[in-house]
Amino acid sequence: MSSELFNQLVDAHYVPLFRFALSLTKNSSDAGDLTQQTFFIWAKQGHALRETAKAKSWLFTTLYREFLRGRRRSERVTALEDLSPAEADPAAPEIDFVSGLDANLVVEALQEVEETYRVPLTLFYLQDFSYKEIAEMLEVPIGTVMSRLSRGKAQLRAALARKEGGTRGKVVPFKNNSARQSS
Amino acid sequence: MNSQQAKFILQGYRPDGADAADETFADALAQARQDAELGQWLAKSTAFDRVVVAKLNDVRPPVGLREAILAGGRVTIADQPPAAKLGWRGAARWVVAASVALLGAVSVGLWSRRVPANGTLPEFALADARSLHGHLDFGPLSAELQTKLSEPTMGLARLRMPDYAALRSTGCRTVKFQGRDVLEVCFKRDGVWFHCYIARREDFPTVAAALTPSFAEHGKASVASWADAAHLYVVVSKSGRAALEKIL
Repeated sequence: MSSELFNQLVDAHYVPLFRFALSLTKNSSDAGDLTQQTFFIWAKQGHALRETAKAKSWLFTTLYREFLRGRRRSERVTALEDLSPAEADPAAPEIDFVSGLDANLVVEALQEVEETYRVPLTLFYLQDFSYKEIAEMLEVPIGTVMSRLSRGKAQLRAALARKEGGTRGKVVPFKNNSARQSS
Repeated sequence: MNSQQAKFILQGYRPDGADAADETFADALAQARQDAELGQWLAKSTAFDRVVVAKLNDVRPPVGLREAILAGGRVTIADQPPAAKLGWRGAARWVVAASVALLGAVSVGLWSRRVPANGTLPEFALADARSLHGHLDFGPLSAELQTKLSEPTMGLARLRMPDYAALRSTGCRTVKFQGRDVLEVCFKRDGVWFHCYIARREDFPTVAAALTPSFAEHGKASVASWADAAHLYVVVSKSGRAALEKIL
């Protein structure tokens, strides 16, 4: 593999890969290590990818596999009928408070989502992959991806609501409730 | 499909509209246009997703991560054996293209990895191919062309070039020769990789073209070049002239 090609790959993918890693590891330092490790594996093995190569998918899949390595993976297949009523018929989320949140708080909320749902949800929000590609990467049926996105979004909304409460208490301690709600 | 089922499906609809053409969402989207409550839910849900996407995009990797990856990658690459060890394991027999043309000088020195300032397109192609050790997908049309070129029964004469501009705009690997774009697509036949370079004739009006196949070689590397009415083609093999002749 040429250094030039490697540089192109790094520049094209290291930022979204880091974001994905951050959602998995919940730690910036570990996420950096995981991102590096993924590219080093590419540098060592990537030239073997000669079929209709999909470098981006390969990198994300490898990062996820590296994350899972050494861990016991608990497969939880969720069907629509397994979802709670609130998850199966989700309420429209309120976005005003989310818009005002710091990006780090949103990422923290994302990290509070259970890993089973967090992985497809993060890939979904990175917008680089369709639900079909996510299903392929995670080796689960398409319906399972849909279910996990549904439950993941429900968990994310709940986590964001908790963040909102915490933020209000810390940032605007001197305003009364009505003032805070109208601000 | 009821509203609940539509919401379930639409959870997978990306907020940037990338899935707009996906048939899976068609019915649910149509329903959302007719069902005011569902439409309102979709609008809010999509707006929420957009906000999360924007927040996620605000997250920046730590300073120095890119440099650390590049430095580590260089060390790792340097530690690898030469990548071009593709054995020539018996090439498939190709149907010879009916129209083969000559591109520039033949039998010139194609051994240098650096392209001379006044080099020909075949020289350039060989030097470029020699610098490649990976075979990547650079776009959907590129992948489609790669698949066509890899078909063992397809002769080059029957190759129908996809639209050049579309191929370039959708991410096909593009290199510069004499200030003009040249597209490159790699493909494999019977375990052996080839690199196909495609240029527009109008970009190189002084290049003499003929309908006779032309070969140039050095060592195990070999180049074939030809043209059709609109395009110039160069195919490079690192596995020698015999390999190339077999596929032509």
